[in-house]
Amino acid sequence: MTPDALGAHVTAALAGSVAEVSFEQLTVDVEASAWHDAAAFARDDSTVGCGFFDWLSAYDDRDAGLAVVLHLWSVPARHHLFLRTRVPRDGGRLPTLTDLWRGASWHERETYEMFGVVFDGHPNLVPLLLPDGFEGNPLRKEFVLASRVAKAWPGAKEPGESDHDVASPSRRRMLPPGVPAAGEWGPPQERAAQEPAAQEPAAEQ
Amino acid sequence: MGVSRSPVDVRIQGLGVGAQLAPKPLRFVLNWGRRYSLWVFNFGLACCAIEFIATSMSRHDFIRLGVIPFAPGPRQADLMVVSGTVTDKMAPAVKRLYEQMPEPKYVISFGSCSNSGGPYWDSYCVTKGVDQLIPVDVYVPGCPPRPEALLHGILRLQEQIGRESLDDRYHWAPQRHIRRVAAAQLQAPLVAPPAPADVAVEVAVDDA
Repeated sequence: MTPDALGAHVTAALAGSVAEVSFEQLTVDVEASAWHDAAAFARDDSTVGCGFFDWLSAYDDRDAGLAVVLHLWSVPARHHLFLRTRVPRDGGRLPTLTDLWRGASWHERETYEMFGVVFDGHPNLVPLLLPDGFEGNPLRKEFVLASRVAKAWPGAKEPGESDHDVASPSRRRMLPPGVPAAGEWGPPQERAAQEPAAQEPAAEQ
Repeated sequence: MGVSRSPVDVRIQGLGVGAQLAPKPLRFVLNWGRRYSLWVFNFGLACCAIEFIATSMSRHDFIRLGVIPFAPGPRQADLMVVSGTVTDKMAPAVKRLYEQMPEPKYVISFGSCSNSGGPYWDSYCVTKGVDQLIPVDVYVPGCPPRPEALLHGILRLQEQIGRESLDDRYHWAPQRHIRRVAAAQLQAPLVAPPAPADVAVEVAVDDA
C-alpha cells in the first residue's frame, strides 16, 4: 500500500486526523484526546496492521507546543506509519501506550524526563537516563546549556556569519541555542556585574 | 544480623622513612620494575575503547611495552585508561573504581571526550574532562586517537614512572605532614589588613 493510500485509509477511520506525506513517509496528526485510540487502531486494524512498535519520542515545536511522535512498522505489509500529536508546553499529558505495547514503557519514561510530558496510566513513570537529582528537561529549547553560556560558540551560527565579521556592529549578534540573553540567567551577583558593564560605553560617550 | 560493628582504625600505608633515604640506584631499579609491568584496566566508555583494543592486539601490541591488559578488575590494576565519553551518570562509577585500585596507580585519559568533553563540550550530561574526577597522569589527544598515540602516551607515562620518587608522589605519606618552618616564622605577629584610609584612596582613584 502506498503512503498516500494508507493515509487516506487512516484519516477516513480517525475523525479529526490529518495525513501528510513527505519524502514518501506518512505522518498522521491526531488530537491528543484521540492518541490512545489512534494507536490502538493502527495496531489492530487489518489494513494498517502496524503491530511493531519502533519508537516514541517528542520534539520541541516552540509556540506550537511539544510534538509527540510514535513510529510504527507493519511487518507483513512492510509499511511505516508516524503518528503525531501536540500537547501544550506546560502540563502536557497523554494516555500511556504501555497497555498496547509493553515496550513503550522506556520510551515514555525517556520522553517524560527529556520533555516533561506526563503519561497517564504509566506503571512506573520515573526518570530513566538522567542522573539522580537532575533538574529540568534537557531536550526542551528553553533548557539552558551552561557550557555554551560560559564559553563562546566556536564558529558561525548561521550561514554567512563569521566571528571575524565586525563590519556591521548594529546587527544583533545571534545567540546559539540553549543560551539565554545577557542578564536573564545566572547567579544574581553575576547579572548585576553584567549590567553596569553593558552600560559603561554609553556613559563614556 | 544484629552484630554491631565498632569503628575500625584504618591505617593509611605510608612509605616509611626509608623512601626518603633510598639511594638513587635502588629507586631506579624499583621504578624500572614498575614501569614495565603496568597491569591496565580499560575503562572503555565509547568508540575510543575500540582504539584501545586495537592497540592491545597483535599489530600494535602494547604488551611488548609491558602493558598487560588482563587485569581481572580495578583491584589488580596499576593503570587505568579512561577511553571514551564520561557522562555525569557514569562519573560516580569512574571515581569509585579508581579508588579501588591499589597504590601506586596511574591514569591515562585517552581521547578528546575524557580529556575535555570533546565534541560534547556543551552537553547537559557529559563530564567536561575526567580530570574533574580523578588525577590524570597523561592525556592523549585525538578523536579518537590512533593506536600509535596511545603507545606514545604509554611511553610518556613510563618515562614519568622512571623519573619519579614515590615519596614525592604521595603527599599523604606520614612524614609529609610534618612541615619544617623557621622559628621566626612561627613567632611573627599576624599580618595586619590595610588601613581603611588606604582603601578609600584606592576607590577614589578608580572612580576618577
